[in-house]
Amino acid sequence: MAGADTRHTLTLGFEGALKKVSVATPPGEPRPWDADTKTQVVGEAVPRVDGHLKTSGAAKYTHDINLPDMQHALVLRSPHACAVIKSIDIKAAENAPGVSACVALAKASDRVLFVGQDVAAVAAATPEAAREALARIQVEYEKQPFVVALEKAMQDDAPLVHTTAVKERRTEGDEPGAGGGAKARGNIRPAPSMKKGDAKRGLRQAKVTHEAVYTTQVHTHTALETHSIVVRWDDAKQARMTVWCSTQSIFSVRGEMAEMFGLKPQDVHVITNFLGGGFGAKFGASAPGSRLGFIAGELARLSKKPVSLLLDRREEHTCTGNRPDSHQRVTLGATEGGALTAIHVVGHGSAGIGTGAGIGRNAFGIYTKCPNILVESADVFTHAGPGTAFRAPGHPQGAFGIESALNELAAKLGLDPLELRIAHNEHPVRRRQFELGRDAFQWADKRRRAADQRGRNTRMRTGVGVAASIWGDFGRAKAASVTVTVTPNGGVEVRNGVQDIGTGIGTVMAQVAAEVLRRPLSTVTVKIGDSELGSSVGSGGSQTTSSVTPAVRNAAEQVKARLIALAAEALEAPAAKITWGEGGVASARKGKSIEFAALCKKIKGESISESATRPQTYGSHPMKFLGSPLYQIAGVQFAEVEVDTWTGVARARKVLAIHDCGRVMNELTLRSQINGGVILGTGYALMEQRVMDGRSGVMLNANLESYKCLGARDVPEIEVLLTEVHVGNNSTGAVGIGEPATIPTAAAIAGAVMDAIGAPVRALPITPDRVLTALGATS
Amino acid sequence: MSKRSGITRRGLFRGIGTATLVAGCATPKAPPPEGPAQTPPVTPGVTLGPGPAPLQFELNGQAVTTEVPPSATLLDTLRLRLDATGTKKVCDRGSCGACMVLVDGQPQNSCMTLAHDVAGRKVTTVEGLGAGHDGGQSPLQRAFVERDALQCGFCTPGMLISCTALLARTGGAAPSADAIQDAISGNLCRCGTYPHVVAAVKSAAGGGA
Ligand code: FES
Ligand code: FES
Repeated sequence: MAGADTRHTLTLGFEGALKKVSVATPPGEPRPWDADTKTQVVGEAVPRVDGHLKTSGAAKYTHDINLPDMQHALVLRSPHACAVIKSIDIKAAENAPGVSACVALAKASDRVLFVGQDVAAVAAATPEAAREALARIQVEYEKQPFVVALEKAMQDDAPLVHTTAVKERRTEGDEPGAGGGAKARGNIRPAPSMKKGDAKRGLRQAKVTHEAVYTTQVHTHTALETHSIVVRWDDAKQARMTVWCSTQSIFSVRGEMAEMFGLKPQDVHVITNFLGGGFGAKFGASAPGSRLGFIAGELARLSKKPVSLLLDRREEHTCTGNRPDSHQRVTLGATEGGALTAIHVVGHGSAGIGTGAGIGRNAFGIYTKCPNILVESADVFTHAGPGTAFRAPGHPQGAFGIESALNELAAKLGLDPLELRIAHNEHPVRRRQFELGRDAFQWADKRRRAADQRGRNTRMRTGVGVAASIWGDFGRAKAASVTVTVTPNGGVEVRNGVQDIGTGIGTVMAQVAAEVLRRPLSTVTVKIGDSELGSSVGSGGSQTTSSVTPAVRNAAEQVKARLIALAAEALEAPAAKITWGEGGVASARKGKSIEFAALCKKIKGESISESATRPQTYGSHPMKFLGSPLYQIAGVQFAEVEVDTWTGVARARKVLAIHDCGRVMNELTLRSQINGGVILGTGYALMEQRVMDGRSGVMLNANLESYKCLGARDVPEIEVLLTEVHVGNNSTGAVGIGEPATIPTAAAIAGAVMDAIGAPVRALPITPDRVLTALGATS
Repeated sequence: MSKRSGITRRGLFRGIGTATLVAGCATPKAPPPEGPAQTPPVTPGVTLGPGPAPLQFELNGQAVTTEVPPSATLLDTLRLRLDATGTKKVCDRGSCGACMVLVDGQPQNSCMTLAHDVAGRKVTTVEGLGAGHDGGQSPLQRAFVERDALQCGFCTPGMLISCTALLARTGGAAPSADAIQDAISGNLCRCGTYPHVVAAVKSAAGGGA
């Protein structure tokens, strides 16, 4: 499509700081919604349109797929953290009762690198038969030395994890632009550093410095629905397949399955009507540490029957990804007056046998009034299941490092840690958030109370902390193709192949179509979760809403234009004179009008149907994301904790989460997402950690009773404040929230613990033993 | 908390432990030790297994007749044999609550319950909660949707069972936030719906469940 860009003068910014900004949009793009746009359905707290399917048990997840003659697959996994396979014999399993197919996934001389790695797989008529067959597979291993602890793996004499170059696995969940590439030294592989000014010189200029090491744990995604895939070959020639997959990226599953089995993508039909959580671990047909797509597809090919492969909880913890741990040496320099002169972070982290243990952009991108910043990070390989993207990859760990260091520096300088932050942040929205929270959270009063309790050496102490988030508006151009259809009976349908990871994207899509056509939400149906419904994006990078909703709007606008043309014909008036009113009533100037139902009856043929995408992001008012043309999403959280100084138990009592997410699309589901981010972050702060046995390389708590996720009793009171921002980025103004909401929580809680006990806990999770140790150091 | 309503995790395990032993191999000599209503309904003198044995119970108001081995859990029986997949399997060892069902009105982890232990009893799963209500959804189910007490929805069936049982115990009166958190303390939700679950239960009770 040729043509010049159109310039619009939009009202952008946030309450109290709105401005007229000129934004150029490509041809065909509707005038973007801005602060002056009054929406009626978009932004409302509308219950999700498919909620009743989840409350009635009717929603079918991949775990629930039950096909005639479907076989159950199980995978034999390595019991050793490092071993060379001497021999492998699957014959006895092939001949076991009920077995329909068996496949070796490793061969003699292969080296297995972690406990849980794929070795062989079987499919049988029942799960019990599959289990018995698995026990008959004979594998002979020659054990080799291994290392599972980060610090040990960094030593020069540590057993080497990889003996050949490592292929990086990247997914849509990874932070755009991040990634390694440098050569490894031992088990250490440096990633590109982030640099501004000269941190070394900044440190030399400093009058006050602070240096300490902060560490964080390995955190597993623990989606309730484990990784699962069901594959059915659809014809005797095995040229087409249908795949049900618990995935956050239907189209990457389609692409991978097609490639693995030599098919055309359009011959692979992928269905994800519902999925029980993903959090970053469910991109692609395979889990990060297990080739699920290949296993299920191959067993189905061999058995000529549909095969279901559902991982159990232990497998989910050990081979489907995790948030890497970190070891961050943070050095800060400041003037006596408290102006930062340097931030220097050296981060190491282990994504097990995988890559991607960077620590995000918190140290580099938030307190940018500091002139000299250097953030170096490196992956350290260990003999453990691979890490992968996990809700804001790198950021919660990075936030904990820099924010904790700032608290300690502020204490040294005798400054309020909140004021130190405000003084060094350059994002106007984030500044507003800090200030809002200072009042709403009664920051000064609570700090005084904490100081008083410390002074009186009370048993129970309270304290407050604050931390910030940084993320980008990563909405993607031309990735989602959405179709809006209006039928002669007045029905509106919105179609796209996107999956709903649990955010309620389908509901927001319906709202946008209802808004444009001014039709009641109840008359809009949404079809999603199927690769036949039009290409789409993965649910990662907090980009779904900003990639999909503008495409919905654009398609709906095109449909509306055609309906207006139809109305013009009916009302015998030029299309330009037709106005589109409430309920979809089209009116001409002379007071003639036509109801939506009557207008739809005039549709020739089956329907009016238009498909559309969205163009590149065209604006980022008022703050860019680190030199990119994208908007920088701001967020700030305040936390209050209560610490029992006798037992060392710290509880999060309250979290105030202040976030911007562009235009609010649905306040109800938005609050759910923010609650979810805070709750995940609270568990990360206080409880969750993978525990590895250094002598066997086995994960000791690969279950849900000793891997401690936050339960209902542990949840802080969560208050959400939204600072809506009109960015002028796309036709709906949506940006993401899923990831920002979990970035600052643990850092804010850690700050609150320090405020309560007067000493820092420099390691996550903040368990009672660590609190008691920190208290011991103060007395 | 009254004895009758106090179905605790430990009590549940103790009850199931006893029932497992009984259904698996032998005739009970004495009634099981006191605890929640877990009386094994096995006919004295009858030994089940090791192969599939006939089983009858009531599922969501419908009589069910099937054959399962004595080792089969109620959860697997529901999901794999009866295609009642609303009840979810998440941990398969009693630590997440996704598999909760009502057995004679009492909430129970179906992964920790042997199928034969519900012989002759009434089992209600999430699919049965809406029976007899307007639009096929109970006020609690509707409140879950209205308050957005679900995200991915995988924990939702178990949450609904725990909360339905809670409201039955209070006779429909609105429980405190504390009581609701207690009731769902065995239900893990990774998406973080807990605050909205509390709000939903309160609003359902307020609306006269
Ligand atoms: S599946 Fe039964 S408690 Fe987790
Ligand atoms: S809604 Fe996803 S686990 Fe609870």
